[in-house]
Amino acid sequence: MTPISSDSLLAAAPTRNSSVATLQSVQRNYRRGKVTVQALKDVDLCIERGEVVALTGPSGCGKSTLLNVLSAVDRADGGDVMVCGLDLRRVAESELTLLRRRKIGVVFQDFQLMPNLTAEENIGLPLALDGQQDSDRVLHLLERVGLARRLGHYPSELSGGEQQRVAVARALVHRPEFVVADEPTGNLDSSNGKEILAMLMEIRLEEGAALVIATHDKEVASRADRVVRLRDGQVLGAHS
Amino acid sequence: MILRSLWLRPTLAQPTRALITVLGVAIGVASVVSTLLASRAAIASMSADVQSVAGESRLEISRPGGFETSDLEALRPICTEALLAPVIERTALSPDLGDLVRILGVDLLIDQELRSIRLDATGNELEAARNSMLHASGVAVSESLSKDLGIGVGEEFELVIRSRKVTLQIAAVFKPERFDSAWDRFILADVALAQELYGFEGRVDRVEIKPRLELNLQQLASRVEGLLPPTYQVQPASARRDEGERLVRALEFNLTALAGVSILVGIVLVATTLATSVVQRQNQIALLRSLGASRSQIARAILVEAGAIGLVGGSLGVALGWIGADSAVSSVRATVATIAEGVTPGIIRLKWEWALTGISLGFFASIFAALLPLREALRTPPIQGLRSQHPQSIAGRPWKMRAALFALLVGAAAFFASLPPLADRPIWALVSALFLLSTLLVLAGPLIDICAGIRPRFMGAGAAISIRLAQAALEASRTRAAWAASAVGVSVALAVSMTTMVGSFRQSVVDWTAQAMPSDLYVRPLTTVGGASAGTIDPALTEVAIDTFGADFVDPFHQSSAHYKGNLILLGGAAFTVVAQHGGVPFLDGRPSREVFAEAAERSAAVVNEPFARRYKVKAGDTLSIDTPAGFIEREIAGVYRDYSGHIGRVVIALEDYLKAYPNEGPKSIAIFLPPDQDLESSRANFMQALAGAYSVEVLNNRELRAEVLRIFEGTFAVTIALQIISSLVAAIAVIAVLSALIRERRRELAVVRVLGASRTQLFNLVLSEAFLLGLAGTLGGLFIGLIVGYVLVTVVNLQSFGWSLDFVIPGSIFMILMIVIPACLLAGLAPAFMALRTAPRESLHANG
Ligand SMILES: Nc1ncnc2c1ncn2[C@@H]1O[C@H](COP(=O)(O)OP(=O)(O)OP(=O)(O)O)[C@@H](O)[C@H]1O
Ligand SMILES: [Mg+2]
Repeated sequence: MTPISSDSLLAAAPTRNSSVATLQSVQRNYRRGKVTVQALKDVDLCIERGEVVALTGPSGCGKSTLLNVLSAVDRADGGDVMVCGLDLRRVAESELTLLRRRKIGVVFQDFQLMPNLTAEENIGLPLALDGQQDSDRVLHLLERVGLARRLGHYPSELSGGEQQRVAVARALVHRPEFVVADEPTGNLDSSNGKEILAMLMEIRLEEGAALVIATHDKEVASRADRVVRLRDGQVLGAHS
Repeated sequence: MILRSLWLRPTLAQPTRALITVLGVAIGVASVVSTLLASRAAIASMSADVQSVAGESRLEISRPGGFETSDLEALRPICTEALLAPVIERTALSPDLGDLVRILGVDLLIDQELRSIRLDATGNELEAARNSMLHASGVAVSESLSKDLGIGVGEEFELVIRSRKVTLQIAAVFKPERFDSAWDRFILADVALAQELYGFEGRVDRVEIKPRLELNLQQLASRVEGLLPPTYQVQPASARRDEGERLVRALEFNLTALAGVSILVGIVLVATTLATSVVQRQNQIALLRSLGASRSQIARAILVEAGAIGLVGGSLGVALGWIGADSAVSSVRATVATIAEGVTPGIIRLKWEWALTGISLGFFASIFAALLPLREALRTPPIQGLRSQHPQSIAGRPWKMRAALFALLVGAAAFFASLPPLADRPIWALVSALFLLSTLLVLAGPLIDICAGIRPRFMGAGAAISIRLAQAALEASRTRAAWAASAVGVSVALAVSMTTMVGSFRQSVVDWTAQAMPSDLYVRPLTTVGGASAGTIDPALTEVAIDTFGADFVDPFHQSSAHYKGNLILLGGAAFTVVAQHGGVPFLDGRPSREVFAEAAERSAAVVNEPFARRYKVKAGDTLSIDTPAGFIEREIAGVYRDYSGHIGRVVIALEDYLKAYPNEGPKSIAIFLPPDQDLESSRANFMQALAGAYSVEVLNNRELRAEVLRIFEGTFAVTIALQIISSLVAAIAVIAVLSALIRERRRELAVVRVLGASRTQLFNLVLSEAFLLGLAGTLGGLFIGLIVGYVLVTVVNLQSFGWSLDFVIPGSIFMILMIVIPACLLAGLAPAFMALRTAPRESLHANG
């Protein structure tokens, strides 16, 4: 159960052009029976170190698909995907695991906390998976998201907003290079959503992590460094 | 309709899960069915179909020691009203088959009117066959025996009877018209030939009576009794069968009780599966409730699922059990052979009642198992009331209630253990064991908590996280995890208790053999391949032994039946003076064997075995009155000896007195003590030389004898071990079923862990850890309860069913069980673990399926 050997990952020097992720003519097709859905068609995208990118577009345009490819959760069918210096189309599954574990943070729309672990344990989970333990870091983040007093609570004992705060802390605990968030405020009321978004922005700024966030919310988009619009699996154009 | 599809669709979508449950039920049912079938086959061969052999006779006259043919004269007054048929029924060893065959000696002329035997011959052939049977060593054999021996009419074959080889000729082959299993391996001989073969001149085993007219049997019986000396017994033909059946049924009862435990494990399995489907569909149930479905509609759906599992599992179980019975029959036979002599193999027949019993067993077990999940489902509120999964509320621990329940169960167990046997069977003691086993259901929850609470410190955090996640998962589905752990626990408890019992038994037998069998050489009749020994030894052999070693060194043991207070017992005759010199069976009160036998020899007293003393509640100093062919014999009891060689009451008197009542039919065995200066192996060789050619016996030295006793002992427990394996199998299936269900439920959760960076190995280890923890919890509980159940088996069940008192010994081999169970649980976890391994991070994207 020792962590996977990480030589190649550590050896990968800070990426050229200081970008954390680069997509070139990425394609992703879903096949169901005889019908093929082209969820991503020739997508080119570059995420710079520490920047905030908002992904917008109508429902079904491919935002989630794109985030999944970026976060090494899903593989592209065509094109090149470079994330943190790794060519995702070439590396082994074990390297992807390590990449997810050390370089990427994820915030889900529906929180996805482990129901049977406490808030504290949930936040510490990515570290624990890597064989590490850092309670100071966990406590620090718990404090930053305003839940210092709820560390022993289980998800079912927390409100939706509180759960998402725990999720935000979990996404950042291992100091990832970038965080992907798929409609992180979609399940929350607007004031709660704003607060959590502010928190996410703030902490990731302190830590220098990039953030790619898929959203329908104009206001969220307006706070991004860059907005990328998608339609029918294609990038329409970037606005600063 | 909608509700049924709620269950039917998912079941069809997950056929493995349904299959696993059905298999669990099937194995449980199969073990019961095959045990029943096998012991029925043993009964069939021994006595159930005696009816057919007894033909159309209605009454039988018999007497321990045999019916004197001269007494037939006395029956002359009833000759016109009834047919009288003298019969000798014995077994003999066929060296060719390595097994026993039955010999029925009858008066050929009379018997035609009695039995449904048709010789396969006509005209002249028939005449020749008759002649050969009446005037030479011709016999008729059943068709199946002729086939087994591979010879036909006119050819000769060998048998060993009373330690002598005899050659018989097949005069005819007969085809039984009915009851062919009873006639399997059967030899029909003229009664005179049978008398000669068995040294039973002037006597027969019984006289069968068939009334020529419709007579009142009761009146006929009392008339016959009036004509004969009082030692004769007149009974309906079924009485003899009942006696034999009683013995085997007692055994069957114990075996079935044991097999029933796998049904218990099966019930736990079905309960877990149903609970899983309830949990998996809780949202759907809640939704249906909001749409207006009534509780009874939901209950019906669950019961339909349970019933279907039970029916399919039960049917499959009957089929499996039928196949399994074939292999079970040999081990059951070995067991039966040790409690009743002269058992020949029977044929396994599946009667439709058995099939029905098996299927309904599966059905009702499943319905019973549905009760708890049903309660869970009925508690499900409409969707508005259903909060998101709430692990903490499920884990609400009313520990006080648990403690009270535990105390209640233990109390009930103690109470039932203290009750006397019911109808000679340890039914209450087994009920007590059942209560003890059910405490596992109560204990499993807290045990899971304990196992989930252990924080391993010796591992790196990377390894620890898998265990931590496993613990958290078990905690969340605590109820079902507890049930799976109980399934493991029950089978561990069963294994531990059986091992403890067998171990205690073995130790007692080893100790007993060392004391009870001090002779240097031991002569016994040839045995079957299966180790069953039957028949007696030619009395002339005793003379050879005395000539060779001297009268002071030879102890022939004779045995026959007698009555005590109207019950059939065994009466033995032994050379008390020889035993008094050399020592023998150990006595319950600890007095030296020599002393007791010396006293018995001097005061012409008797010794009785422990089963006799317990059954008839007698002790040393009491006086017995034994009903023998030579009239009543009064004897004081000099001592009660330990006897693990059978559970029938036995009284042993001095050989001289015995031989007066039972003219010499020959000893069952001869113990020989070597004079001080003689070398063992050369004396044995010399003795064998002296016997050579004339006798077919086995002469064992002491070491071989003890090994032989242990071999028979182990054969006796072959069935037990097989049943133990079966219930462990069901428990393993329970672990697989529960884990797969838990994994399937948590697929999305597992996928999220993958997104967070868990490797495949970590997921794999996570599931294996769950299996390990389940196994650990079950094993701890099972070990604890198993030892207590073992204690009940040793001190109560054994005593009640066999009359044997054993020392309670905890054998080291129970730790072997633990070494097997936990790896077995890990093995059971492999399939679900591989399932988890295939979880792709991408699956976190879809809602729970
Ligand atoms: N597993 C799948 N199988 C088949 N088609 C899929 C699958 N996942 C997504 N799609 C299709 O791919 C396209 C893009 O889906 P995606 O989830 O990326 O959209 P989205 O932009 O995130 O939409 P939303 O804003 O509603 O979340 C859609 O047309 C969708 O139907
Ligand atoms: Mg989406």
